[in-house]
Amino acid sequence: MKIRPLRCLFLSSALLLSPFMQVQADTADKTIALSNNYAGNSWRQNMLGSWKQTTDDAVKKGVIASADAFTTGENQATEQAAQIQNLILQGYSAIVINAASPTALNGAVKQACDAGIIVVSFDGIVTEPCAYRISMDFKQSGLDQMDYLAKRFPNGANILEIRGLAGVSVDEQIHSGIVAGAQKYPNLKIVGSVNGNWSQTAAQKAVAGILPSLPNIDALVTQGDDGYGAAQAFMSAGRPTPTIIFGNREEELSWWKKQKDANGYESFSISSAPSISSLAFWVAQQLLDGKQMPHDLLSPAVSVTQDSLEPALKGLEKGGIVSQVYSVDDVATLTSPSAH
Amino acid sequence: MKRVPLLTTVMGKPWLWSFLAALLIWIATIAFTGGQGAGSLLSGSLSFSAFFVIVGIGQMFVITTGPGNIDLSIPANIALSGAIGMKLMDGQPGLIWLGVVGVLGAGMLIGCANYALIRVLRIPPIIATLSASFLLQSMAIAYGRSIRIQPPEMFYQFCTGNIWGVPFLAISVVLLAVIMGYVLTRSIYGRWTIAIGQNARAAELAGGHVNLIRFATYVLSAVFASLCGLLLAGFSGGASLSMGEEYLLASIAVVVIGGTSVAGGFSNVPGIWGAALFLYLLVSMLNTFGASAGVRLILTGLIIIAVITAVSGRKSARTA
Repeated sequence: MKIRPLRCLFLSSALLLSPFMQVQADTADKTIALSNNYAGNSWRQNMLGSWKQTTDDAVKKGVIASADAFTTGENQATEQAAQIQNLILQGYSAIVINAASPTALNGAVKQACDAGIIVVSFDGIVTEPCAYRISMDFKQSGLDQMDYLAKRFPNGANILEIRGLAGVSVDEQIHSGIVAGAQKYPNLKIVGSVNGNWSQTAAQKAVAGILPSLPNIDALVTQGDDGYGAAQAFMSAGRPTPTIIFGNREEELSWWKKQKDANGYESFSISSAPSISSLAFWVAQQLLDGKQMPHDLLSPAVSVTQDSLEPALKGLEKGGIVSQVYSVDDVATLTSPSAH
Repeated sequence: MKRVPLLTTVMGKPWLWSFLAALLIWIATIAFTGGQGAGSLLSGSLSFSAFFVIVGIGQMFVITTGPGNIDLSIPANIALSGAIGMKLMDGQPGLIWLGVVGVLGAGMLIGCANYALIRVLRIPPIIATLSASFLLQSMAIAYGRSIRIQPPEMFYQFCTGNIWGVPFLAISVVLLAVIMGYVLTRSIYGRWTIAIGQNARAAELAGGHVNLIRFATYVLSAVFASLCGLLLAGFSGGASLSMGEEYLLASIAVVVIGGTSVAGGFSNVPGIWGAALFLYLLVSMLNTFGASAGVRLILTGLIIIAVITAVSGRKSARTA
């Protein structure tokens, strides 16, 4: 075998130096776009805010050249597909997507991959294999709710389930966690189920409609942005307030705090953090930097307990959602579902 | 046949169908639960239907003015008005008047803007009000950042309270419906609205101020939607961005199920109440039966088709 000393020297020095090279070095001239399908609720507003906060900082520090956010007007897959095609033409290095549909954007996503663009989807993920997916373990969050209730009600309880928007995969996943929990704890009985569409007013209406036909309700399992509305429905029906599992919204936690101070109300709150958008940004940045990652990644859920309620509320702005700011270091801690 | 006299009465009043459907569904629900919760179900349906009725009346006047006239800005209007109302009231009972005045003013401005797009820029109403809704929704997002300001206690009590199980809100909206029913069928404005819907050209030749009437109608619809947004925010303990969402289709559905002609020119107010009760009770019934979301949507669609067919069956029976 012929040895080439010069090549060896270059190669070994590159290998030696690489750990010391800063992340900024390779992505400073790269651009990332956020393609978002909807902005009309508080979670999405917080998600966009978190994106802006993280990317503004990253641009200022020279980690990335630009990171623009684009939101479609009509929450439709066709519109978002056209938007992604536009972003391809504009020459972005990576596109981060919160998708209107898991499958309908696959064509446009494939085009982006073929054009050498890195595609990272989060929250509303896409199934196209070339894209990366960051999602919360929604099934586990459903199971976590039931685990909490099993501890709270060792002698069994009547439970009303508030589901999200029918036909959306997230709703199916959380629901499957709830169902698994009901099988695990046979004395937790789900006596009714309504769709609250992740909206306080829709949840209030749906709960008020089914409540007259229900026996005494001990607890509510929810999907976020519906607990406060459900509490309103119980109050106006003049029924005792059950243990409502909340979804980390400020109004829900404030209401919980008020009840806690007044009568020792106990509960639990769990939801995905809207700052998952900043995590997606860092994943895209790391991929642009040449890092290898599995295509499916799990982001952790954020939960609030009876003891962490006050710290969680502190500094939480009105209309906000409990969140955590992700840095580039958090990317390394992400697990893939198979390892989970 | 024995049924014929009843049938002809029903045929003569299209709105009776929606009340009949609502009653049947209520009985079916009560039968399922063995009589439990009959009263509170009715009380709840009166509360929630009141919101549908407010926007439904506004939408009905718009639809009455003839083919192509529709107000799609209602959901965004509701979101914006709820936010404006809660912010102006700021949780203080002394500022309730300011919230009410501010919201009604916002409604009038929105109505004027809608009609300016339609008339001055000559944009078809369906596009004009839809694009207006984008502007309004964006304003609601920008303005309502600090959402969920609690309504003043007194306002909250008005929106959620009841007397012998009958919500204050339902009583007020029944009064409003009676007044608007009178306006539609007895007042000069109402009669011109119907005339324009039947034939705008003929109405114009007969001396009707077509543009003025349409202008007033779009303002009316926007003001009612704003009012609904304010009351809804009071009812659910604060405004939220998504609270108007379901009112786009619902505002049209209650008008059509209530027996108003989509082509315009033939309208009635009582039917809106029947249709609103019907829609709420229908979803509650399917929830009570424990139907899954898929089955629920299919049944909702089928039952609505059945009721609309029954309503239009009356028209063909009349012409036959």
